[in-house]
Amino acid sequence: MLWVDKYRPKTLDHVMVHNDIAQNLKKLVTEHDCPHLLFYGPSGAGKKTLIMALLRQMFGPGAEKVKVENRAWKVDAGSRSIDLELTTLSSANHIEMTPSDAGFQDRYIVQEIIKEMAKNRPIDTKGKKGFKVLVLNDVDKLSREAQHSLRRTMEKYSAYCRLILCCNSSSRVTEAIRSRCLNVRINAPSQEQIVEVLQFIGKKEGLQLPPNFAARIAEKSNRNLRRAILSFETCRVQQYPFTDKQTISPMDWEEYISEIASDIMKEQSPKRLFQVRGKLYELLINCIPPEIILKRLLYELLRKLDAELKHEICHWAAYYEHRMRLGQKAIFHIEAFVAKFMSVYKSFLIATFG
Amino acid sequence: MDDDFDIMDMDVPLPEELELLESSYRIYEQDDNLYFDNPPEDEPEFQPEQSPPPDLASPPEPQSNSHKRSRSYSNSDLDSDSPDAEKREKVRVRAEDLPADEDWLRYSPPPSPVTVEEVRFSKEKTLSRFASEIDGEVMPVTAPNGDRVYTKLDRYYGEDRATALNIGGFSSDLALEPISVLFERLDAETFAKTLEASSESQSVVDVPETLTVHETLTVHEKLWVDKYAPKSFTDLLSDEQTNREVLLWLKQWDSTVFGSEIRSTSEDVLSALKRHSSISHNQKPPGSGFPRTKGGHIWSNNKYTNSRSMDGSDNSKSSQDAHDAKTRNVGAPEQKILLLCGPPGLGKTTLAHVAARHCGYHVVEVNASDDRSTSTIEAKILDVVQMNSVLSDSKPKCLVVDEIDGALGDGKGAVEALLKMISAERKHDAGKQSLDKGQTEKKSSKKGRKIASLSRPVICICNDLYAPALRSLRQVAKVHIFVQPTVSRVVSRLKYICNKEGVKANAIALTALAEYTACDIRSCLNTVQFLSKKKETLNAFDIGSQVVGQKDMTKNVLDIWKELFQRKRTKKMERKSHDRKVSEFDTLYSLISYRGDSDLILDGIHENILQLNYHDPVMQKTVKCLDSLEVYDLLHQYIMRTQQMPLLVHLPPIAIIVHHTVAQVQKPIIEWPKSYHKYRTTMMEKMDILNTWHYKISPHIARHLSATSFVEDLISPLLHILSPPSIRPVALQLLSDKEKNDLAQLVSTMVSYAITYQKMKLDTLPNTLKYGVKDELTLSLVPPISNFLNFKDYTSNHYELSLPMKQVLVHEVEKHKILQANVKTVGLENGGHGAIEAGSNCIPFANTNNHAAIVDKKTIESQANVSAMKSNEAKTVSPILNLTNMVNAKDKVKLLDMGNRKKPSRTSSSFFDRFIKSNVKGLQNDDGSLHKETTSEKDRSPLLFKFNEGFTNAVRRPVRMREFLS
Repeated sequence: MLWVDKYRPKTLDHVMVHNDIAQNLKKLVTEHDCPHLLFYGPSGAGKKTLIMALLRQMFGPGAEKVKVENRAWKVDAGSRSIDLELTTLSSANHIEMTPSDAGFQDRYIVQEIIKEMAKNRPIDTKGKKGFKVLVLNDVDKLSREAQHSLRRTMEKYSAYCRLILCCNSSSRVTEAIRSRCLNVRINAPSQEQIVEVLQFIGKKEGLQLPPNFAARIAEKSNRNLRRAILSFETCRVQQYPFTDKQTISPMDWEEYISEIASDIMKEQSPKRLFQVRGKLYELLINCIPPEIILKRLLYELLRKLDAELKHEICHWAAYYEHRMRLGQKAIFHIEAFVAKFMSVYKSFLIATFG
Repeated sequence: MDDDFDIMDMDVPLPEELELLESSYRIYEQDDNLYFDNPPEDEPEFQPEQSPPPDLASPPEPQSNSHKRSRSYSNSDLDSDSPDAEKREKVRVRAEDLPADEDWLRYSPPPSPVTVEEVRFSKEKTLSRFASEIDGEVMPVTAPNGDRVYTKLDRYYGEDRATALNIGGFSSDLALEPISVLFERLDAETFAKTLEASSESQSVVDVPETLTVHETLTVHEKLWVDKYAPKSFTDLLSDEQTNREVLLWLKQWDSTVFGSEIRSTSEDVLSALKRHSSISHNQKPPGSGFPRTKGGHIWSNNKYTNSRSMDGSDNSKSSQDAHDAKTRNVGAPEQKILLLCGPPGLGKTTLAHVAARHCGYHVVEVNASDDRSTSTIEAKILDVVQMNSVLSDSKPKCLVVDEIDGALGDGKGAVEALLKMISAERKHDAGKQSLDKGQTEKKSSKKGRKIASLSRPVICICNDLYAPALRSLRQVAKVHIFVQPTVSRVVSRLKYICNKEGVKANAIALTALAEYTACDIRSCLNTVQFLSKKKETLNAFDIGSQVVGQKDMTKNVLDIWKELFQRKRTKKMERKSHDRKVSEFDTLYSLISYRGDSDLILDGIHENILQLNYHDPVMQKTVKCLDSLEVYDLLHQYIMRTQQMPLLVHLPPIAIIVHHTVAQVQKPIIEWPKSYHKYRTTMMEKMDILNTWHYKISPHIARHLSATSFVEDLISPLLHILSPPSIRPVALQLLSDKEKNDLAQLVSTMVSYAITYQKMKLDTLPNTLKYGVKDELTLSLVPPISNFLNFKDYTSNHYELSLPMKQVLVHEVEKHKILQANVKTVGLENGGHGAIEAGSNCIPFANTNNHAAIVDKKTIESQANVSAMKSNEAKTVSPILNLTNMVNAKDKVKLLDMGNRKKPSRTSSSFFDRFIKSNVKGLQNDDGSLHKETTSEKDRSPLLFKFNEGFTNAVRRPVRMREFLS
């Protein structure tokens, strides 16, 4: 078992990083005043951890007993009937799923599952928890239609069903849904918080963790707690007593992107762009999301760039990322960004050095 | 006898080649003269005189030849000076079987007008022919004694002489031909005349009679396309090379289709040709006359080659010869199907028909308008291939499948049927071959074969060679791609027709027309006919104006890309003019929009654009092109989402922008866009791997992760964690406590993430993460997560565990899994919380009893139950955490346990032995204590004994302990 999983806080009380949020949530639950919730924030910030702890707070330890189910739905959509399949995680009191996996038919899933839950309303003898919880992951990847169909169902069945939505960015969740939920922003933990967590784990594992080294790990982790803990464990595996100068092995794909960035800096020509295209394809093949590639590439380029150009390049990166989100073939857009960068950089070089 | 003759009659013209006719044509004329001057008895002495003719026989011009030929086929004029080698052949054959000759003529009605002509001609020509060459030829016919030969010749000559004297008049024919033939011919003539008079009133010059004869009466004015369709091989406008190759291919069928008989006659033709070559003539005067003798076969073959090479008129001659020789030996050509492809209007169908007819086939055509389902076409093909018509027209059939690419779904039926037959043919190739050789065509066809196979030529015609439906056919068929005929050739033909039709047209206009339609003859003719209705003269303006709709040309995608990336040289000068630009835009636009497949076109642009050589110092052109590609992507996505199809018209201009930006004069190297598709498929595969892995991981871990965060955050560190460099591949008992702890930690990680090692073949492994293991026994991670870091030109610094270490890990992981499974079942039986806690408590007990850890014993269970009751229930730790803790603890214990035990051998293979032994030992040791406890608690709960020899699950089944004890 990895430390990430081992030392994941199981209850709201044990939460270290977002303790204030956890306490608020606990208050909500204990007062039986739980609205729909929308958790958003960068990955590795602790959204899922908080949600799980919240569920446990609501339903007790029973919420931990989950089973994986591959469920099939048959939806009547006017003239035809649609067969859908989706993997869900469910306990007695909640269902957890990623509806965007169903692609463009996600809205049927969203509608069906909520109606189904409303139909099978739990009969609680104590009459306390008259509702089930539906956890929807990656809401920002839901299609617009699914989000629209969600908003009415949310209101209609709110007596029987609470939604917990989870996403990275709330900007792609429609206004209508956001206004129906209690929005909970989970920030990325600060470096100090990460160090704190690492120290905690080190103590539990009985390790000597030099504070400087912990700070370095936190810095390298990009404020991603999961990554920080994983690289902490990696370092532990590679070399134990820790030293301040110990190398922290980087993420391989990030290394690869930095190679690409130095390729771009070295030469600016269509031929080089063609080589870069091959490498970008390599990254995309390995399931790395194009947005992250573009972001990382920009980061790597900015590190090597003259300060004068930084602003312009950032502007172009944003411009191309926007188009990438509108379009379909990510490679076109990343490549266009690289070409633009090459063009800007080369004319800059010519202007300065003649 | 009659039947044989029938076939012969049809077949005789076949073997000879066009060149043969051309080369020998002049000689015959000469020979005629010679003959008339000399009495037949002197024939032998002619030999020296005849040797000169080959020198005179310079290859005649094709024009004159074609002219003669058309006349020779026509009904009306009967010129004695147009003899044919084929006819000569026939006569010779007939001379052999003279007694039957007359009978045959009388009894069997001539199958077709053409045949009639031939017969008649042969009569006429007999005169000339014998005189000229046949010194050798005649003798063998009546071979046995010389006296007889002479008499025969005399007699025959006598008859022929009479004809010869009356040459030019029909009366001579009357004497020789049966009355039925004559009637028929008369009918045909009158028919032709009336037809001419009625239908062709407006045309100034009369049409060649041949054409009229074959035409139907119903149409008052025919399309010129049909009217002037080439009727003979030499009339064809298409590329000479292609024509010849098609003909050659058809000829290769001869031995199969016409059987052995035709082979001998074809050699006779060869010998007939050979007679004109002085060398052969001088060297072997008597031998040449014996084509039927044993040696004749090979000999004449050689001579054929010689004479042919002497002709020097044909460029593909040597290959043809080789083919001919092969054909004679092997039989049907290797590729049983001929696939003709090319843009419409170049004369593919015409070529197929003419060539097949020329070779003596009856053409059966299946085209897009016929029913083309598999069953129908199969029946039709069988019909063609295996049946022999009982009608008088007993030519073998040749199937022409026109427009095979037409409709994809339907075309497939035809293709499938053909492929099936070919594959059947391949299977039974050897047997069939001998069968075909041994028997004559008639017999074999009557036999009625069970396996449908191709024994007749099949010609398929398509426009787009790369149509998906044709993919499989393309591999087995002989493919000929039609190229555009030269403009001058088309123009000269058009001119000829215009003259015939009395339309005044200047060469410039016709050239413009030919260029405008891309040498599509059909379209040219239709246009000319259309315009001729309105005006007397044609000029370039008419054609250029939009009166005539431009042809809707669908070009190959590759051509479109080439068109887009290549700038036409001529345009450079005219670029400034605005009109040119507009027209260029128009052509490109129509080119792309006709193709329709803008997605593919733009993918191709994306794929190839960076490989072009355009001058771009600060990458501005590249940026512009890529930006327009982006716009295309956005637009396309928008159209797809909103279904606003009218917006699709805006896609082609994007490609034109690219054209204006980067098009170069030099020829681009274009590759088919594969990389995007490859990226899509590989990504999908990898995504699948991730998803299945995600489902395999136990839910309490997996729920915190999404498939993308695997690659983003997890895999890279996980690989480091899974292969700690500190761990030593030594026997477990040599490890220190700390190391054991690490190992246990590692194993639990692997189990919780559902990772293990599996044997893999070396070649499937990624090379970058290899650790010098050359054994066949290579263990790699399953799921193959290391592949996700396996970027091209990138080496990660991951440490790879050694092979023994991996083996250890595999065992440990398996053990751990079994343990976990057991704990779970126990937990299920005892119901929940207590059992899980009991699990953690049972470990010391197991330790003391020196059990093998993998054996879950009743004792453990019972003890656990007891301790569970004792243990305080108020533990607040969650069961899952508890469970995992327990598993860890148990694992540690087990490892310790193993370390403590003494073993005879330390090799890794001793793992198996060790467990078996310890199992047995444990069983024996615990027997007594076990027995007591089991008896006390036997009825309360069942005992599970897991038998896990060598970690195979093959024999795993629950057995009650009492079965062992009894």
